[in-house]
Amino acid sequence: MAVLEVKNISFGYSHGTPFEITALKNVSFSLEKGELVGVIGHTGSGKSTLMQMLNSLLKPESGEILLDGKNINADKKSVKEARHKVGLCFQYPEYQLFEETCFKDISFGPKNMGLSEEEIRQRVYTAAEIVGLQKELLDKSPFDLSGGQKRRCAIAGVIAMLPEVLILDEPTAGLDPVGRAGVLEMIDNYRRQTGATVIIVTHSMDIVASIADRILVMNKGELAFNGSVSDIFTHSRELVRMGLDVPVATKIMLALRNKGLEISSDIYTLEDAAKELCFFLAKEGKI
Amino acid sequence: MIKDITIGQFFPGDSLIHKLDARAKIVVLLLFIVALFTCRNFFSLGLLFLMSIISVLISKISFSVVLKGLKAIIFLVCFTAVLQIFYNDSGEILWKPFSDKDFAITTGGVFSALFITIRIVSLILSSSLLTYTTSPTMLTEAIERLLSPLTYLKVNVHSLSMMMTIALRFIPTLIEEINIIMSAQKARGADLETGSLMQRAKALVPIFVPLFVSSFRRAYELAFAMECRCYTGAGKRTRMKKMQFALRDYLMLVFIIILTASVIYLSYFAQSTLFIFEKVI
Repeated sequence: MAVLEVKNISFGYSHGTPFEITALKNVSFSLEKGELVGVIGHTGSGKSTLMQMLNSLLKPESGEILLDGKNINADKKSVKEARHKVGLCFQYPEYQLFEETCFKDISFGPKNMGLSEEEIRQRVYTAAEIVGLQKELLDKSPFDLSGGQKRRCAIAGVIAMLPEVLILDEPTAGLDPVGRAGVLEMIDNYRRQTGATVIIVTHSMDIVASIADRILVMNKGELAFNGSVSDIFTHSRELVRMGLDVPVATKIMLALRNKGLEISSDIYTLEDAAKELCFFLAKEGKI
Repeated sequence: MIKDITIGQFFPGDSLIHKLDARAKIVVLLLFIVALFTCRNFFSLGLLFLMSIISVLISKISFSVVLKGLKAIIFLVCFTAVLQIFYNDSGEILWKPFSDKDFAITTGGVFSALFITIRIVSLILSSSLLTYTTSPTMLTEAIERLLSPLTYLKVNVHSLSMMMTIALRFIPTLIEEINIIMSAQKARGADLETGSLMQRAKALVPIFVPLFVSSFRRAYELAFAMECRCYTGAGKRTRMKKMQFALRDYLMLVFIIILTASVIYLSYFAQSTLFIFEKVI
């Protein structure tokens, strides 16, 4: 059964002013349990608005969102439940740190859920472990940490609520390659340990190509594509028209194919590209 | 709640009021306010009120925006109006709730409540129109130019106006930042809307701490960026776009001077005419 179902939602900003924008038009999709879904789209395509709908921070003007089969905007209780079950981690989450110690900051979410002291402590330690934040850092001020550690601490604050659906908006923005790999690893950790559904909103085609089970492509407030990685990148020309890109590996393979090499261009990660090239070279007797 | 703040916002357009020189607009507004506060009869007040309505119409700013701006001061208006009703006991007695006390609602009280309401509404209409139709950069430049005689008194007008420009520039940025932080903390289950006053005040900590932290970060970044471009604030700076008075600006100034002068004349020197406030009653 689908964890989250989005049915025909529409939304606009600033009605009645010169700045009126239609952010979402008739968007529908559903998410299965344990899936890792990548959401890509150009700036202003409505991705962020859509994500804020999923935990009822914004309410759709028409259409509905079902969490475990129940409308999340039905009443106050269901909104609260949606906030607890759908964890939303904004872009640059480290800018939302505020407590004196990392421990206190991570426990903010669980505390708001009304859990017991013991349960909160348990969850903070679990979350810190999942994101790879050393125990001794928990008593430090979050403002004394390095950039990458701050990001981990902030994401731990959302993970500590143990959401069934974890949404991360550009979780790797502004991180170096090591930091990026670390963040992706901890997302994977969380999913494996809890079986939760994860949504990653990103600009990076390489990230979605390497880890996502499914991709949603947003364009001008509409859901343009919804399918597996290989499905999506066969539409590379449309993607480019939407101001998007294809993964670096795909680009290289396409370029090589255009030069006359007999290789497949359905390649989306660098590992697969390397394998395919080795296979090709072996076939040609070059290695 | 934050997105309801429209005072200080700028709505681009090309109406006659948008095109007026910002300096002229400021002077006109100041004189208009002088007229508003010196006028003492319904005739001149009505005229001034009508003028502010007409200016809003000319500016083509939508009425819903203007009403939103007025909504913010509705409490203030009601409060002063009620006070006026009770404090003015001239004219005939309309209603005497307690027969054994002197206290009563009189025609004078009702009229002065009405008077003060129209006065405040006209004030807000006209002054918000200035920011609605003038871009912040124009506004600060106009203020800098108008205050420039103060440089002879060793006041650093340029720094003042630069600070104002920066402050105005960052209002929308900070509002956006507050919105994001609020959403982020709400996403972590923060409850900002219910609870006692104390609980609500406490709920603001997770919003304001990150806001202050990022404001300081922004201030440092901006200062570095300005220093990297050799900004010192000293020295003579020239403008890419020079402000130039056009015929319409002169006409507008002449008009407002005549208007203010006649309002003052009607209120203070022509006591015997029909229009005096008390006589109307």
